[in-house]
Amino acid sequence: MPGERKPMRYGHSEGHTDVCFDDAGKYIVTCGSDGDVRIWESLDDDDPKSINVGEKVYSLALKNGKLVTAASNNTVQIHTFPEGDPDGILTRFTTNATHITYNRSGSRVAAGSSDFMVKVVEMYDSSQQKTLRGHTAPILSVTFDPKDEFLASASCDGSVAVWKIEEQTQVTSWPLLQKSNDVINAKSLCRLAWQPKLLAIPVETTVQLYQRDSWAQVGTLSDDLGTQAINVVAWSPCGKFLAAGSIGGLLTVWDVESKLCVERQTHEKGYTVCGLAWHPLGGQIAYTDTEGCLGVLDGLSSSSSSSSTTASSTTTKVSLWSYMEQAPASYNDLFDDDDDRPMDEGISEGTCSPAKNPGDEDDDDDLIPATGRARNRSAFLDDENSLDTGSLKQGLDKFVDDDDSAIVPPAAAAAPLWPVYDGPMPTPPQKAFQPGSTPAHLMHRFMMWNSVGIVRGYNDDQDNAIDVEFHDTAVHHAMHLTNSLGHTVADLSQEAVLLACPGTDELASKLQCLHFSSWDTNKEWMVDLPKGEDVQALCLGQGWAAAATSALILRLFSIGGVQRELFSLPGPVVCIAGHGEQLLVVYHRGTGFDGEQALGVQLLQFGQKRRQVIHGEPLPLSRKSHLSWLGFTAEGTPCFIDSEGVVRLLNRSLGNMWTPVCNTRDNCKGKSDHYWMVGVHENPQQLRCIPCKGSRYPPTLPRPAVAVLPFKLPLCQTTTEKGQMEEQYWRSVLLHNHYGFLSSSGYEIDEEGQSQAQKEQQELLMKMFALSCKLEREFRSVELAELMTQNVVTLAIRYASRSRRMALAQRLSDLALEKANQLQGEEPQEEEEEEPLQYTRRNTGSGLGRSGSAGGQNRVTNVLDSMMLSSKKPTALLSSSGSTGKLNKTPFLKPLAPRPKTKVQHNSVYVRHKSGFQLWLEDNRRIILADNPDLEETDVIKEAIGRFRTLSADDRLTWTERAKGQSGDVADMKKRKRGEEENRGDKNGQSEADETRQSEADETSAKKKKPFDTSAKLSAFAFNKN
Amino acid sequence: MDPSEVEFLAEKELVKIIPNFSLDKIYLIGGDLGPFNPGLPVDVPVWLALNLKQRQKCRIVPPEWMDVEKLEEIRELERKEDTFTPVPSPYYMELTKLLLNHASDNIPKADEIRTLVKDIWDTRIAKLRLSADSFISQQEAHAKLDNLTLMEINTTRSFLLDTLNCMYKLRSNLQPGSSGGKAQDHQ
Repeated sequence: MPGERKPMRYGHSEGHTDVCFDDAGKYIVTCGSDGDVRIWESLDDDDPKSINVGEKVYSLALKNGKLVTAASNNTVQIHTFPEGDPDGILTRFTTNATHITYNRSGSRVAAGSSDFMVKVVEMYDSSQQKTLRGHTAPILSVTFDPKDEFLASASCDGSVAVWKIEEQTQVTSWPLLQKSNDVINAKSLCRLAWQPKLLAIPVETTVQLYQRDSWAQVGTLSDDLGTQAINVVAWSPCGKFLAAGSIGGLLTVWDVESKLCVERQTHEKGYTVCGLAWHPLGGQIAYTDTEGCLGVLDGLSSSSSSSSTTASSTTTKVSLWSYMEQAPASYNDLFDDDDDRPMDEGISEGTCSPAKNPGDEDDDDDLIPATGRARNRSAFLDDENSLDTGSLKQGLDKFVDDDDSAIVPPAAAAAPLWPVYDGPMPTPPQKAFQPGSTPAHLMHRFMMWNSVGIVRGYNDDQDNAIDVEFHDTAVHHAMHLTNSLGHTVADLSQEAVLLACPGTDELASKLQCLHFSSWDTNKEWMVDLPKGEDVQALCLGQGWAAAATSALILRLFSIGGVQRELFSLPGPVVCIAGHGEQLLVVYHRGTGFDGEQALGVQLLQFGQKRRQVIHGEPLPLSRKSHLSWLGFTAEGTPCFIDSEGVVRLLNRSLGNMWTPVCNTRDNCKGKSDHYWMVGVHENPQQLRCIPCKGSRYPPTLPRPAVAVLPFKLPLCQTTTEKGQMEEQYWRSVLLHNHYGFLSSSGYEIDEEGQSQAQKEQQELLMKMFALSCKLEREFRSVELAELMTQNVVTLAIRYASRSRRMALAQRLSDLALEKANQLQGEEPQEEEEEEPLQYTRRNTGSGLGRSGSAGGQNRVTNVLDSMMLSSKKPTALLSSSGSTGKLNKTPFLKPLAPRPKTKVQHNSVYVRHKSGFQLWLEDNRRIILADNPDLEETDVIKEAIGRFRTLSADDRLTWTERAKGQSGDVADMKKRKRGEEENRGDKNGQSEADETRQSEADETSAKKKKPFDTSAKLSAFAFNKN
Repeated sequence: MDPSEVEFLAEKELVKIIPNFSLDKIYLIGGDLGPFNPGLPVDVPVWLALNLKQRQKCRIVPPEWMDVEKLEEIRELERKEDTFTPVPSPYYMELTKLLLNHASDNIPKADEIRTLVKDIWDTRIAKLRLSADSFISQQEAHAKLDNLTLMEINTTRSFLLDTLNCMYKLRSNLQPGSSGGKAQDHQ
């Protein structure tokens, strides 16, 4: 019967191999003694993906996209599937593990080892292990009870034992096997298999079946042709058939109920079969031998039918497929499982796969509802057997016969074997963690790496200690503490080190604070938490500490140890972060499904005005990712990174939305490389992280070096000039939002940096403007001009008029006027506040230059050191200076209406914010009015524009520069303003005000070389573009 | 040229350090350095790095080539080839010496690296001697010295030149009639 047994493929080097299918049955996954895991898309896959996991691989198991392998380095490792990225180490033994297996849901892994132990490890928390001791020789194989209650293991000591997992006790044990001293010497691998009721144990040439609970032997399966010991057994997904592979290469499939052998195949070379797996849909068996070859037994149905063609309709050997269709029905009686009727549709269609999620299917031809059954199935078969049409034809005919005759099973009666839930699966919630720490199970690990320093934890045989080291030795010298309490979480700030340990049976969970910056002699305090409450996450802010506990309480302490507020969290905490007066809390909002986490975030503000800034909104993570870092930028903007490497920053000017600012994975060279975040700085724009080759986190030795990544907003078409500039502009806007926040919460800000940023933004806008002008996109140009400050709009007007775009220039001048009016509308309210503001600024002005330039590299210290709460909250600070107007700008859509003349006159004292043209207009308005006394306001302006254009270029430039020179220093401006108000009081005459202005303008332009230079540069740019 | 002079030149090479202090950009004749942020790597000349290291103000990040595996590769190549192979840095010997003497605690496997670099050095110097020997014995007029570092040229320069002069003197003495005068020219 060559049609079913496909030719074997060379897969691995000679030696022990293992095989399994992925959940959907799309891939065959094999491992071998060459240390590779290969992922085959089919047997014909000429280029299987290879993952090297060690020197030798003894066993593998795959479920839920996690590939678990037992390698020769005595570990059980996890890799992601199908990517193959290392995902940590599940557990270790003192010698190699011999067999590993998943439980049905994939939440646990059992591993048997040559050190006589069986371990049951929770997939999502490898620290929760159960060890089953009792065997007195290396373990041969392990298998889970499908109901997850028991575990069976076979050992070289000759016994097969059943364990109760929770109690870690042996329930029963049978001395069935021959004794041997090691796995390689054992006669059979004795791979056990468990189907809900029956445990199959290969004993010599037979398979013995034991009943669950009663643990009595209920049957023996044997085959007359089988002369050599059976190595491996596997149940079909429907539980109806049992496949076995033997030393001599004999593959046998039994129908368990009738105990009849329905399929028999011999290995083409007679090598020992050591790995055997059923396709999750049945119908296909993959097997590997000790020579490293992979084989597939395919289309089991056609095999039996073709073998029975001679027997025609009276055949006793019916198609395996028909068997399988019947199986659910009969099993329904056999195993009185309930509540699964609604799910029978897909399953009745020949797929006996329980607990399978049809949504995951890629090849779902077999999942069409139960209508037109024969046709559908033939399509399925066609798919399976496309290689040999001859036998397929026969098989098909046979099938139609079968369907027409008595064997058609009632579709409605078909029911799966155990409760099937095929909706979205809940994601195990991610555990609480400290951002900037490496996993707790490591012996040497970083407990915290932040912008202040590094806390390392050592927990090995000789030593249990904590090292604290500061990046800046000026903060404090390095510390070495003995970790007698077993602290597991830590945080570090400029003021203190905060440590916490989980509680044990005798001792309560403790919070310890080393307040090294304290001025008294007592630099340490400790707090015991109430019994049963464990610290899960903690953080330090400026002058306070916070700890989130397992009782869903967030406790605040002062840095000196005074207990402060406490409040309840809406869900189990994931992590918390502090900065200055801000506290960021991320917790589980609910259960996530299909790999997603459902996290919520709260941002609280302490200090003068206590409030909640973000009220438990969902935290936007990437698809199927979890949170991997949470914190603040050095400037105090909340920021987080998910496991996909996407960095998101809170955009306070956009209603506290999270904006993706970088994908660290884009910078990785290898697929399994990651960046481990240690800090984010907005000015300069830096993501400080540690490149980790082939892992998610760095080892403590050799000491990793920090790398700096740039920010990059994921805007469209960043390869084009336009896209690049847009990205730069919005990045600049986003990353300078913190100025607004800092000043509004009463901190000093680096004004130099701020004006620098604005200059940069305006330059970018101007460039974009020029670009869109060149591309004849006038509407877009106006849109860009709306984002500009008024001064730059003037330049834009000139650029437009130079390049002969009169319509554009006209619109822009309207816009400029609008902006000017808007600015004037804001100013009167600010005047009252100006006095105290100016005082604050002057007061700190001298120190600011220094801290500003040092703030160029802004570490937390610098920011915090120079932050002092000013007594008055200068809410309107930003809008007071002309150059900062853009921060509170919004796209201004109001059409320009003619304004009452009086208002314009009233406001005319603020002309220094206007363009050269407007200055000129002020001067020449009377002349225009005199010439055309009956003109409306808009007409006056039009006329004025016309006249202004007739001026020589030099004249216009002088006007513009005069306008520029006047919008210089803020303080100067105010002085002048007051002076002018007096002037106005004396006399409303324009000419005198003009004189003052002119003389002052000269003064300013001489004194304030810098702003002048900038505008000159900008205007030069505008001209050059022309 | 004195070896110390070569070393002086080598001190201009840039090396990465991780400072443990904070300092703004410093403006020197040779160029601007910094800014220095605690914990963040920054490139500085070796002389500054060593100075800061001696004052315990920084950790030095060893250059990329100062790695056992890479040096082993270079050593094998050097041994295999008859000609000089390219070295990882034009000042590899000086840098190794300086960094290992002053900052061996920041360099993993310092001893192995020292041995490896010494091996490479020895191989190269042996090659140099050999080629000098064949240069003289075959009475060549010129030789190609690719991939030689300043320090290596320096070790052999004075010796080789003096020897050549000496030999010239001896040879010219052999020829009768032109004894003193010519030899004097070459002094």
